Amino acid sequence: MIKNGTTDGNSTPARPRPLSPNIQIYRPQLTSVLSIANRITGLILSLGAVGLVIWLSAAAAGPQAYGVVQSVIGSWAGQVALFGCTFAFFLHLCGGIRHLVWDTVHGFELRSIYISGWTVVVSSVALTVIAWVISLLIAGWPQ
Amino acid sequence: MNRRSFRSPLARALGLGSAKSGAQHWWAQRVSAIALVPLCLWFVVSIVTHAGSDYAVFAAWIRTPLAASCMILLLVALFHHSALGLQVVIEDYVHSGVRFVVIILVRFGCYGLTVIGIVATLLIAFSG
Amino acid sequence: MIIESSDRVSRLSWFKRFPIPRNFKVTPESRIEKGRTWPAPAYAKRVKAFEIYRYDPDSGGNPHLDTFHVDVDDCGPMVLDALFWIKNKVDSTLAFRRSCREGVCGSCAMNMDGTNWLACTRFISDMGTNATIYPLANLRIIKDLVPDLTHIFAQYAAIEPWLHSKTPEPEKERLQSPEDRSQLDGYYECILCFCCTSGCPSHWWNGNRFLGPAALLQAWRWLTDSRDEAKGKRLDALEDPFRLYRCHTILNCTRTCPKGLNPGKAIAEIKKAIVEREK
Repeated sequence: MIKNGTTDGNSTPARPRPLSPNIQIYRPQLTSVLSIANRITGLILSLGAVGLVIWLSAAAAGPQAYGVVQSVIGSWAGQVALFGCTFAFFLHLCGGIRHLVWDTVHGFELRSIYISGWTVVVSSVALTVIAWVISLLIAGWPQ
Repeated sequence: MNRRSFRSPLARALGLGSAKSGAQHWWAQRVSAIALVPLCLWFVVSIVTHAGSDYAVFAAWIRTPLAASCMILLLVALFHHSALGLQVVIEDYVHSGVRFVVIILVRFGCYGLTVIGIVATLLIAFSG
Repeated sequence: MIIESSDRVSRLSWFKRFPIPRNFKVTPESRIEKGRTWPAPAYAKRVKAFEIYRYDPDSGGNPHLDTFHVDVDDCGPMVLDALFWIKNKVDSTLAFRRSCREGVCGSCAMNMDGTNWLACTRFISDMGTNATIYPLANLRIIKDLVPDLTHIFAQYAAIEPWLHSKTPEPEKERLQSPEDRSQLDGYYECILCFCCTSGCPSHWWNGNRFLGPAALLQAWRWLTDSRDEAKGKRLDALEDPFRLYRCHTILNCTRTCPKGLNPGKAIAEIKKAIVEREK
């Protein structure tokens, strides 16, 4: 007689079987970590898109409103947020291109999966640094 | 799965059957992604090269037909891509009926922001 | 850093689990409690500790983690041998599935050091210092390391894993060219151990509707079979936001397959086939 689970034949409510742990014990791997990273960066960029609309709306409202938004972006917190958005953008971009290649059924050998994965990590860091160095060279440090 | 039920395992696995859809959503996600690659790169390059410039320079840039067009295309593709992606995230993690409400709200939010962004861009482009 | 085949064990000693609370989203009956420690026999020279998930349905209690100290000189080289050693010499109530002990039956799939694999083909020497053995992830547990596979086998049945044909049965066998037969390579070898489905985060969150990598790999095995005449029907049944498109190409499946197969690629083939018939 099965006491627990689905069928025990008597009228006492069965104690549900325990669910074995999943994310609590499963080892993070490049596959799953980059997947969740792509998701989190997507969420960050969605917020960034809201920021873009605010920025455009402020600019449409006139120089004064634009100045306020620019000073927020120029602040210490604003620059950190912008830097985060830049990195999120490049990670999502590189990860997205990796996904587009997979959608053509290419690059599915484990070796390719890992090489492309690390390429995404390295190139998104590099592109973020390059973008910020160039922008700081053009504009100088924000006041 | 652990509830006492007389439904067969196969009946549970088959559920309500196939929606016979989903490819459109998947395809739209890819098409908007492909569109976003050049548009986002254009945007990032523009922002980087305009770093630190004042309102007059910025407004003059948006007034060029190319920049205004690209900005509108960017807004459309960005929020379309975002709405599709957020819907998948919501479906993944929200299992109660609340998900229908959240998905609708996200859709409305994305459409609304697209329109606001386009109007703002046009206002700058046709001002002065 | 670069994993070339799925039998490679991750060597990273940091970041062994996601930084979330131990009881994140764990319902009361699934909470894992501290268990007892079983010492090694006094004569043992080389001892290895294994933390093993235990659950006794008759006790009315919760699952718990027992620590067993295994005399490595007295047992075979594989994790399955260590389980046999424990069952024979320490605690005969330890329950686990096993049959072929050579990686062809798929019975002894379990989660070792955080990844799914077959206990019979995982070397004890490849286990970390705090070796942990859990049942396959995200399944209802019948006892100890024995999960209830009813639902994922039902999902396998749902893709109708048999030949569909309207052409009258030929007198002898159904012919297939060597080229067409080679299309099945990498798919027909699946042993249904469900390491992939149990290791797929998308299946963790939506396993009631998402078919999971094992069933979808089998679906492609029949879609790509030149003798099958139900391609369209099969694609119709698969094209669904949850059944198929809950796959977000995380690729934990391909990383974990003990037979070195590629469920991720099979699913990409299905998505491509659906686009091809639409565009």
